[in-house]
Amino acid sequence: MEKKKLIEFRNIVKNFDGQFVLKGVNLDIYENEFVTLLGPSGCGKTTLLRILGGFLEADEGHVVFDGQEISKIPPYERELNTVFQKYALFPHLSVFENIAFGLKIKKMSKDVIEQKVMKMLKLIGLEGYENKNVTTLSGGQQQRVAIARALVNEPKVLLLDEPLAALDLKLRKEMQYELKRIQQEVGITFIFVTHDQEEALTMSDKIVVMRSGEIQQVGTPEEIYNEPANRYVAGFIGESNIIPAVMVEDYKVRFDDITFDCVDFGFKENESVDVVIRPEDIDIVSKEQGKITGEVLSVLFKGVHYEIMVETVPGTTVSVNMHVIRNTDVTSADGKEKISANDFYVDIEDVDTLDDKEIIALSNAQAWNPATDEYTSVARIEHQLEPQVGTYPVAFFTAGGTKIEKRIFVVNQPFVKNEKANEAVMAFNFFITVDEIRESHALDTDLKTWANAQGWKLSDENTSVELFVDYDFEAGEIKEGVYKVTFSTTGRELKIHTTDAAKEGEEVGLTFFAEDIHVMSKVVFEE
Amino acid sequence: MKKFSQLALPYIIWAVLMLVLPMLLIALYSFTNQGNTIISFSFTLEHYGKFFTDKDFLLVLSRSLMIAVKTTLLCLMIGYPAAYVISRTGEKIQNFLILMITVPTWINMLVRTYAWIGLLSEGGLVQKICLWLGLGEVEFLYTEGAVLLGMVYNFVPFMILQIHSALCKMDGSLLEAAADLGANEVEAFKQVTLPLSLPGVINGITLVFLPAVSSFFIPKLLGGGQFFLIGNLIENQFITAGEWNFGSAISMIMAVIMMLLMMLVKKAESRNQAQEEEK
Repeated sequence: MEKKKLIEFRNIVKNFDGQFVLKGVNLDIYENEFVTLLGPSGCGKTTLLRILGGFLEADEGHVVFDGQEISKIPPYERELNTVFQKYALFPHLSVFENIAFGLKIKKMSKDVIEQKVMKMLKLIGLEGYENKNVTTLSGGQQQRVAIARALVNEPKVLLLDEPLAALDLKLRKEMQYELKRIQQEVGITFIFVTHDQEEALTMSDKIVVMRSGEIQQVGTPEEIYNEPANRYVAGFIGESNIIPAVMVEDYKVRFDDITFDCVDFGFKENESVDVVIRPEDIDIVSKEQGKITGEVLSVLFKGVHYEIMVETVPGTTVSVNMHVIRNTDVTSADGKEKISANDFYVDIEDVDTLDDKEIIALSNAQAWNPATDEYTSVARIEHQLEPQVGTYPVAFFTAGGTKIEKRIFVVNQPFVKNEKANEAVMAFNFFITVDEIRESHALDTDLKTWANAQGWKLSDENTSVELFVDYDFEAGEIKEGVYKVTFSTTGRELKIHTTDAAKEGEEVGLTFFAEDIHVMSKVVFEE
Repeated sequence: MKKFSQLALPYIIWAVLMLVLPMLLIALYSFTNQGNTIISFSFTLEHYGKFFTDKDFLLVLSRSLMIAVKTTLLCLMIGYPAAYVISRTGEKIQNFLILMITVPTWINMLVRTYAWIGLLSEGGLVQKICLWLGLGEVEFLYTEGAVLLGMVYNFVPFMILQIHSALCKMDGSLLEAAADLGANEVEAFKQVTLPLSLPGVINGITLVFLPAVSSFFIPKLLGGGQFFLIGNLIENQFITAGEWNFGSAISMIMAVIMMLLMMLVKKAESRNQAQEEEK
């Protein structure tokens, strides 16, 4: 069926206070389509809709409606109607008068108005409500009145600005079917704005995925779901496993050191790509049968299916010794001030950039008033650090002159490299007192600070990798001694939706078909 | 809840002492003759009769009502456009303009009215401007125009503030909805803005009409002896003539008239609403 082009956006640019909300949007919308503009808040979808409605003017570009440029036409002369986010019903008018508003403006005769309004009330299932005050209606009913008020004018296009956002879940589902039914019955174009991907998939003929003022992909719900254009679309629509990969040659893609058959082609040889595998496309089999193997990390029952996380590539790990020592705080002569600090290790490469703030953090230096238990500041630090391996004295002073002397060990710390996962991690042995551990409110974070634990991408030193902390002591009952603390990165974890249960800790095999691997070109998003 | 309602007791006592009691006393005065003692009253309708049979008194009454109506209409004509324009400006300018309208009310009304005497009097600023414009020697002070000017000047802020707050309460998306449905600016104003601002207009009318009808120092100062209103009459009876009972009777008559007028306004408002709902 040949459809007629109804709306054309040509290179629409809009900025608010120097911030670009739309960065040159091009989009065609056809007759009798249910089009959804989908994206998170701030992606520009509502702005685009308001430009079409005539409530905003684009800085650049053209809007063509039915073959006519409409950028300069005021909203009241455009042949389209809007259902506003909060409905914007006229509180001083009844249901009937609200729906009749547009017709009265057009000076239609009374009996025609009555006929049309009654027909609309029937369409939205609110017969008998014509004399009700709109403020007494429920959210769902107000929503229907807002739709009827727009549709009664027989527009060529109906714009809907997140109209279901204010409704509860059950009503929202109901209205999704209702809207689709109304659209099919009246046979006009609906342009629907939402941030809800499920809503978009349910109702649309065509989905426009937007991000930061740019269109990422336009397609049917099936196309968007099965063949997302990039990592962003794949992540926004449905659940997905997105894995960085390399396209070895046509029909061959390599990730996590294994080359897989796939159905994609047309990429450059050895081009960096992203691969998406939907959780429902992966099957759990025995270790021997799997294309890849891994350890089951968690199993969640979700009703129809289980959501199982399997770690196929272990993370990178580094362990350090935590020396738990006696308290060594110093009290001032008058007994009104206390100061404490610990010896600590620092990497030779970091000496140059080490500032007082970091020294305080690493040594956990603190000063306080023992009578009130209130913290005071560590006013001054004295040291003669040099970028050479060795032991250097450091002194911390309070404003009152109370002093504690400690040592800084400058070492050439090796780090753990994991080429396969493109990661490296590093951490240092450290000294800490019993009290400091017991008083810690966020021990994992504190341990990372004290051990100066860091994880980064081998390919880019400035991209940090999140670390997880593991230890087997009870913080509340710790005594002096040496303890092992382990810092590790997450490896490759795959999410799997299956109806078969698996056991946590079990070694399993994973399998999927070549057509379940969807290769996408890599995109760099500027924030 | 019970405990909370007990907290209102001091205020109730205060209100009875300060509001209800004096009013009851005025009512009592208006129905009695002079020279009563606490134990012996002689009731009479003589004062009411005196008022309604004297042409001069009725003339003063009608003149008072007329000038109050004129003041209210003028305040509405100035206040609505002003409030409308203010409500459409940006937040900062809006706050500033509202402050500018409020500031004069911080200064005593009497003082501000005295200032007008200086401006309007012979050889005052207004006359000089008229001369300069070639309008000749125009007498302003001690005319109805001067009284009207004083009243509008004093009461117009109340009108503006009431209408402004009603306009601000209106959701801006309603105007977008009206435009979306094909209404141009004029139609959107007639169909949406105006009806939604009516409660503010009614509040404004009440706040202007009531003080205007009973005002006595504005006509006294700006109208001189020539422009005698009901407020002046009451003041006269109490202070100059010493006829407390007659003064009380006039006050009672005014109170009843105002009550009736307010009931009328309220009724018009609710009928208006009922009609909207009926349609």
